[in-house]
Amino acid sequence: MKIALTVNGEPRVVSTHPLRHLLDILREDLDLTAAKEGCGEGECGACSVLLDGRLVNACLVPAFQAHGRDVRTAEGLGTVAKPDPVQTALVAGNAIQCGFCMPGIAVAARALLDRTAAPDRDAIREGLSGNLCRCTGYGRVIDAVARAAEYHRYREENDPPSSPPAPESDGDGLHEDVDPAGPPQPGLAESVRVVVPDDLADALARLRVEGSRMLPVAGATDLAVEFGLGRPHPAAVLDLSRLSELRGVRGEAEGLVIGACTTFSELAMDSLVGRRAPALAAAAMRVGAPAVRNRATLGGNLVTASPAADGLPPLLILDAEVELAGPAGRRRLPLTEFSGRYRETALAADELLVAVHVPAQPAGCRQAFYKVGTRQAQAIAKASLACRARLDGEGRLRDVRVAAGSVAPTAVLLAGVAEWLEGRFLAGDVAAEAGRMAAAEVKPIDDIRSTGAYRRHVVGTLLTRFLTDLIT
Amino acid sequence: MPEAKHNVVGTAPVRRDAWAKVSGGARFVADLDVTGAWVGGVLRSSVARGRLRRIERDPGFDWKRVVVLTAADLRGVNAVPMINDDLPLLAERDITFATQPLALVAAPDRSTLAAALAALLPDVEPMEPVLDLDAALAGAPVVPGRDNVIADYTVENGDLAAGFAAGDRVVEGVYHTGLQEQLYLETQGVIASPHPDGGVIVQGSLQCPYYVHRALSVGLGLAEDMVVVRQTVTGGAFGGKEDYPSILALEAAQLALAARAPVRMIMDRHEDLAVTPKRHPSRISHRTAVREDGVITAAEIDVVLDAGAFTTLSPVVLSRCILHAAGVYRVPCVRIRGRAVATNTPPNGAFRGFGVPQAIFAVERQMDRIAAELGIDPVEIRRRNLLVDGDALPTGQVLADARAVRLVLDRALELARRTGPETAPAGHERRGTGVSLFFHGCGFTGDGEDRIATRLRVRWGGGQLEILTSNVEMGQGAGTVLPMIAAEALGLPAERIWLAPPDTTIVPNSGPTVASRTTMVVGRVLLEACEKLFAKVRRALGDAEGLPEQALEFKDGRFRSGDRDLGDFAAVADRVVGETTIEARYAPPPGQEWDAETHRGSAYQAYSWGCNVIETAVDPDTFEVRPLRLTAVVEIGRAIHPVLAAGQVEGGSLQALGWGALEEIKTRSGRYLNDRLATYIIPTTLDTPEMVVDLAELPSSRGPFGAKGLGELPMNGCAPALAASVQDAVGLSVSELPVSPERLLELSLARDAGADGSETP
Repeated sequence: MKIALTVNGEPRVVSTHPLRHLLDILREDLDLTAAKEGCGEGECGACSVLLDGRLVNACLVPAFQAHGRDVRTAEGLGTVAKPDPVQTALVAGNAIQCGFCMPGIAVAARALLDRTAAPDRDAIREGLSGNLCRCTGYGRVIDAVARAAEYHRYREENDPPSSPPAPESDGDGLHEDVDPAGPPQPGLAESVRVVVPDDLADALARLRVEGSRMLPVAGATDLAVEFGLGRPHPAAVLDLSRLSELRGVRGEAEGLVIGACTTFSELAMDSLVGRRAPALAAAAMRVGAPAVRNRATLGGNLVTASPAADGLPPLLILDAEVELAGPAGRRRLPLTEFSGRYRETALAADELLVAVHVPAQPAGCRQAFYKVGTRQAQAIAKASLACRARLDGEGRLRDVRVAAGSVAPTAVLLAGVAEWLEGRFLAGDVAAEAGRMAAAEVKPIDDIRSTGAYRRHVVGTLLTRFLTDLIT
Repeated sequence: MPEAKHNVVGTAPVRRDAWAKVSGGARFVADLDVTGAWVGGVLRSSVARGRLRRIERDPGFDWKRVVVLTAADLRGVNAVPMINDDLPLLAERDITFATQPLALVAAPDRSTLAAALAALLPDVEPMEPVLDLDAALAGAPVVPGRDNVIADYTVENGDLAAGFAAGDRVVEGVYHTGLQEQLYLETQGVIASPHPDGGVIVQGSLQCPYYVHRALSVGLGLAEDMVVVRQTVTGGAFGGKEDYPSILALEAAQLALAARAPVRMIMDRHEDLAVTPKRHPSRISHRTAVREDGVITAAEIDVVLDAGAFTTLSPVVLSRCILHAAGVYRVPCVRIRGRAVATNTPPNGAFRGFGVPQAIFAVERQMDRIAAELGIDPVEIRRRNLLVDGDALPTGQVLADARAVRLVLDRALELARRTGPETAPAGHERRGTGVSLFFHGCGFTGDGEDRIATRLRVRWGGGQLEILTSNVEMGQGAGTVLPMIAAEALGLPAERIWLAPPDTTIVPNSGPTVASRTTMVVGRVLLEACEKLFAKVRRALGDAEGLPEQALEFKDGRFRSGDRDLGDFAAVADRVVGETTIEARYAPPPGQEWDAETHRGSAYQAYSWGCNVIETAVDPDTFEVRPLRLTAVVEIGRAIHPVLAAGQVEGGSLQALGWGALEEIKTRSGRYLNDRLATYIIPTTLDTPEMVVDLAELPSSRGPFGAKGLGELPMNGCAPALAASVQDAVGLSVSELPVSPERLLELSLARDAGADGSETP
């Protein structure tokens, strides 16, 4: 297919396989080699670029989603004569060693400063948490970005940028592509059709015709990994990333309606989500790292239905429902009925997940989300736990919900312990006993990330912690 | 401390490669576009041990489109020349480790390559692999026709029986460490191009141009001048690009010569993780005799390293490991035995520290165990046993600068006290502090430097100095530090000094970029070359001016005679010598004796020393370990560039903390399971403590301007200090890495069940 995009301010047209990644297009077709391949699956950040001003991993952006977009790479940040303040600070601070990760780090730092003019060290750590560096120990890099923020503020005040950020594209000129041109690529099917629907109705109509041959794609962050692990290519992909009606959060009768294509970055920043579903906001913040959160969507998380999906446990304790749209119209299902088996959902081949409904929560409930990952960022959960409860006027536990991730083939509500706790006074051994019950209720396995015994243990101790914290 | 007056040494100029790297202008090997290049790939064994009957070719594939090489098709010898040449480039009949190469394929493009590799069907009779160290030691068959003990060395000093008799008790401990991947951000890669005269040119990401040169020349049976090796901008190495590039270069060169086209072999991360050498797993047993006052009277230490299936660099790693195994302590009577043992796993190789991190983990944990058994504070038990000037190491080498170890300890404790976290512990967490002391021998072991016989040249001409050396920039800063040494020696401004491209047709063999040797050993040879150049220029100036040399003064970069200014070095050199090239060679220090058979004598020309203090938060519910602050004080003689030196300490420390807390490779049937970046976990910004680094300087006579080696030192101390901090926080004593939450839970459950919360020997 042919895609048109703007790269570092210049319009470019590229003929490419639709599932080829933006990183390869930049490096091989446009000879822009600042973005590097360090892993090819969104783990290292060496390929960080700005896509319509937002930090992304170029190795996770399929060509069809780059069409019509504005791309900025490290080559486009600055020149020797007029470097980006981030580049100046990294150079002047001797924060560079082997340098392989540095173009990506410079881009990630630029994205951070565009969003936050005066980040503190914690914000800088968070902003760079998806960019692995093996040489520096990060300290000097963090110092340099802090320094750059000072330069940046100075420049903003004295030399404002001349061009506004490019508007988002609606995918014009790419409504259907049936001519995948370009050289064959290893691991890529010879022909994949790309369908960019006009709106949701159009998307559903296309899906109705194509059924399971067509793969709906939103943030595409799992796609490269799954294809890499051998998932067969679909005959066609349906690009949901440009459907604005599937995005955003709105309040509804003290509850929330969350569009399926709302990204985790948007969820983490949304003030309504923060107030009404703090467990979900906390979970959103623990997904991957900024570049992944900027692309990955809540709907994608639910449809992929990994047992480690960070979005599932919080939604389970909030009694969330999913809204599905298909040929027969719309239907709503409790999340428990949507996602019941390993990587399987109740979604029919001609249906789309369009929204998640979070009902009004009982007044006075406290929510919490705990994730025990392999590390602090870019981590898949070894175990996660979401809890909700309140104490009534007498001090009895009410509206108790407990859900855990990575301890069963899918994220699960722990109904037994919740029921046992309901109406109980939080006294004596209750919190500890509840922890023991929760640990007994889950059936985790040993795998590459952790052990069943450890998972069982933390589910128990974290529930005990939640309950203990309720009365302190 | 009195400061020698230097103009350049001790300053912190901006790295020379900084802008190119931050802007994306620096071209790494994968960024090079070589016209007409094919791509190369390797068919690998999926089993760890077996017999290769044949490799069938799917008749449905058009084999005319590709080049396929099996062992029978190779040019030259089927071996990768290293210490021993026992590693075949391609398996012939016996498969002895998983991922072992069976065939090489080159194709015009990646999809054809993938199709060809999929159409090659190896017919293998699988056999039970030997994966357990004890089974291997007992002689289970690993590689046909070869003993499993690849190296077996002993270091002895004093009367061991008398030493044990002098102690009041014996403390025993067994310590285990696992595989660690270097995880340079740039994966391994080379491009090999055939030359019309029958030779081959290889460019790639590598540390040791002349190692690769020798491997190609011997392996392909080509005359030395038919082989060219050129280092490209290298995105981190950490030892991982010491030995493996010889293998990759041979694979690519074999294919390029057969295909008569350039061949690119750039590994993806998955292949790199699954295939390339890792840090040697270790099992180190200590028996220490101590008096009730904590003074050590004797120690017996047994080291077993898992070498993997072939020799590669294991004997040298083992040697360095045992030479550091007694730590920074005075042990009057000691016996250390080390064995490198073959198993049916991929050969392990070089990794920053080179056997010392394993040794220090064991001895530092043993010190903590002794402290706990005697009820003495861990710092105090160390103080009672520290080496002092005039003490001898187990090799008999008498130390003149051992006071450095007390210096770094005192300074680190003081700094940690002053800069400790102000934040109060969060509600649930427990805090603890751990201390480690460590050292690292600089340069090659024993007479290794004599055998390398470093040669280095400087070339003067056109107002510029060019340094010709095969020691490379790979991130560590050699490309900035070596010119600083020359600038200091000649009073030249930095912009007049250049490093020649690291290309074997241009630079002489100044040895590999390894072993913390570049600044100290190669830097000293560079300094001598500069001094020879300076003497030549001064002599010529004297001749030209008709003045005796004593009448010429050189100060602040300018020659003077009385109050007459004769010009700066550049102007004078251009005027009186024009163009000249000077070569200097390594000369062994006087009085250095080494017996490689008995491991007696001067094991290293100098040692650098370090102390780590780590404060850690442990979540008692989840056992998550969060290092909060690391204080690292290192004594490195003299820091040529203090900011780059501190950067080495920071980066090396984080790599060590990764090994200590996070990094782990689980295996199944001899294959690595953590073979993607989603499962091989290294620290992110959020897993990194604040670091306070301080450089202590006791100038050494061995290096230029007093400098000693630095690169590997910071890898050595963080893992035991982290384990000690966790023990201080929650009372659980870990003797196996990583200090993972899962391991801590097991220890905690064992403690609750009545055991003492320490891993039993």
